[in-house]
Amino acid sequence: MKNVKILGSGCANCKKLEAVAREAASAAGIEAEFVKVTDLKDIMAYDILATPGLVIDNRLVSSGRIPTQAEIQGWLGG
Amino acid sequence: MQPFLVSLQGGAGNLAAYLAAHVLLCLLPAFAIAGAMSALIPKASITRWLGRRTPARLSYPAAAAAGSLLAVCSCTIVPLFAGIYKKGAGIGPAVTFLFFAPAGNVLALSYTGSILGAEFAVARVLLSLSFGIGIGLLMALVFWRDDTAHDAQADTLFAAQDRIGSAAVGVLVSLVAVLIAGTLKVAPLAVALASFDLPLAWAPAWQATLAEWVPFDAAKGEEGVSAQGSLLIGLLVLIGVTAWRGLENIVEGANRWTGAALGLVAATLLVAALQWRVHPGGVEIVLTGRTLAVAMAMAAVAVYARRLEPDALNAWLWEAWRFVKQIFGLLVAGVFVVGVIRQWIQPEWIQSLTGRNDLLANATAVLFGVFMYFPTLVEVPVAHMFLDLGMHRGPLLAYLMADPELSLQSMLMVAAIIGRAKTTAYVGLVAVFSIAAGLVFGAWVDGVSLAWIALGLAGFMAVLAAALIWLRSRRRAPAAAAAS
Repeated sequence: MKNVKILGSGCANCKKLEAVAREAASAAGIEAEFVKVTDLKDIMAYDILATPGLVIDNRLVSSGRIPTQAEIQGWLGG
Repeated sequence: MQPFLVSLQGGAGNLAAYLAAHVLLCLLPAFAIAGAMSALIPKASITRWLGRRTPARLSYPAAAAAGSLLAVCSCTIVPLFAGIYKKGAGIGPAVTFLFFAPAGNVLALSYTGSILGAEFAVARVLLSLSFGIGIGLLMALVFWRDDTAHDAQADTLFAAQDRIGSAAVGVLVSLVAVLIAGTLKVAPLAVALASFDLPLAWAPAWQATLAEWVPFDAAKGEEGVSAQGSLLIGLLVLIGVTAWRGLENIVEGANRWTGAALGLVAATLLVAALQWRVHPGGVEIVLTGRTLAVAMAMAAVAVYARRLEPDALNAWLWEAWRFVKQIFGLLVAGVFVVGVIRQWIQPEWIQSLTGRNDLLANATAVLFGVFMYFPTLVEVPVAHMFLDLGMHRGPLLAYLMADPELSLQSMLMVAAIIGRAKTTAYVGLVAVFSIAAGLVFGAWVDGVSLAWIALGLAGFMAVLAAALIWLRSRRRAPAAAAAS
C-alpha cells in the first residue's frame, strides 16, 4: 500500500495532478492511499517553491509541474 | 423593462469591444507567453539568486524578476513568497516579489497597454518596480530583527542552479515578437501591402444587423461589433471547443484535436491582423505590414517549438490552456458586468470625487481598490470604465496599483505567512506608495516637468527615511537597555 500526498492549496494544477495520479495508480493496479495536503504550513515543510507537489511514501518526487502517468507509475513501482 | 434592456446591451457592447481584433492580438499571445514562462523557464535559473547569502543588490532585482517571470498565478506566488521569506533572502525581497508580481507579469502588462494605452503600462511597471524594491527595503529595515532570528538553518532550497534552454528562449522571443507585431501602433505595420475583394453581398446587411444588436455611441468611447469582430468571436468559440478536447489531456501527449486548436489560434491571429472594409458590394480585405509581421513571428514560434523536448512542448501548451481556463471565463464575465454597471454610474459622481489629481482623489481611488476585489485582469476593464467616466489618470494609476495588491484574499494569504503585524505594515506601505505613485503619474500627465517630480519624489523618500531612522533608534534603545 503506497501513500501518495498531493501538495497544493486547491489550484487547477493540484486537482489535475490528483486526477492523473489516481488514474496512474488504478491503471497499473497499484493500491495507494491518497491524501490532499492543503495547509500552507504543511506544504512548506516539504521544501518546494511551486505547487503542485507530489509526495510518495514521504519522499518528494516532483513539484511545480504535472508529471505524466508513466512517470508516476515509475515512482509508485520503485 | 427598458432600463433592464439597456443594461444588457451595455454589457454585450462592452464584451464585444473587448473581443475586438486589437484585444485578441494582445491576449492570445499573452496567454501563450504566460504559459511558456511558467513551463519553460526553470525556476532555479532565478531562485538561485534568492538564497540567504546573496547580497541585497542581487536579491532585490532577482525578486522583481521572479515576480515578473515566474509568478503568473497563485500556484507559484504563495509557495515562492513563503519560501523566500522563511528559507531564503528574507522579508525584503519576499515583499518586493509579492508587490511586483501582479503588475509586472506579462498578462497584466500587455493587457493594460492594449486597453488603457502604452504610457499606463510603462508607468505601472516602472513605478511598481521602484516602489516594490522600496517597500521591500523598508520592510527589511523595520523588521530586521526577525530576519536575523530565523537565520539559523542552512538553505538547500535555493542552491539548485539551472539555465533556460536555447529553444525555450527562441519560443519566448518569437512569442513576444507576435505580441509586439500585433499591438504596436507604428506606421510600417499599418501600411497596406495588397488587397482583394470578397463579393459577399450580405456583408453590409450583416454589419447593420450587428449594429442593431449592439448599439454603440462612439462619443462615449464605446465600440460596436464589426463583421470582422463577429468572425473572430465565432473562431474563439471554435478554439474553445477544440482546445477542450485537444489540450485537456495534453500532458499525456497530443491528439488530432490539438493540431486543430493550434491551427485555429493561428488563423484567428491572422484574421485579426487583417483590415476589413465593408462596402456595399462586399468586403475589401487589406493585407498590411502587421499581417505579414504577425505571420512571420508565428512561423518563428513554430520553428522553435519543434526544437523543444516533447515534454516541454506539452507542458507549455498545458500551462497556456490552464491560464485561459482560469482567467478568460472570469474576464469575459467581468467585462460584461462592468458594461452593465456603467449604464448606472453618472460621470458627475466620478468627476467630482476623482476628477483632479490631488491627495484626496488618490486616497479615494486606493480605498476603492482595497474594498473591491476583482478577479485577475478584471481591474483593467474597471479602470477603463473609470477613465471613460472622467477619472483623472493619476488616481486611476493609484487604483490600478492598489487593487491587485490589497485585495482581501491576498491580505489573508500574506497574513498567514508573515503574521498580522508585518501584514499591517505592508498594507500601510502599499497604500502610501500607491497614493504617491498616483500623484507622480498624475503630475506627469498634467505636464509638470520631470525635475519637479524628481524633487517631490526625493522629498517623499527623505521623509520616509527619516521616519525609519527614528523607528530604528526607538527599537534599538529598549534592546540596548535590556542588554546592559
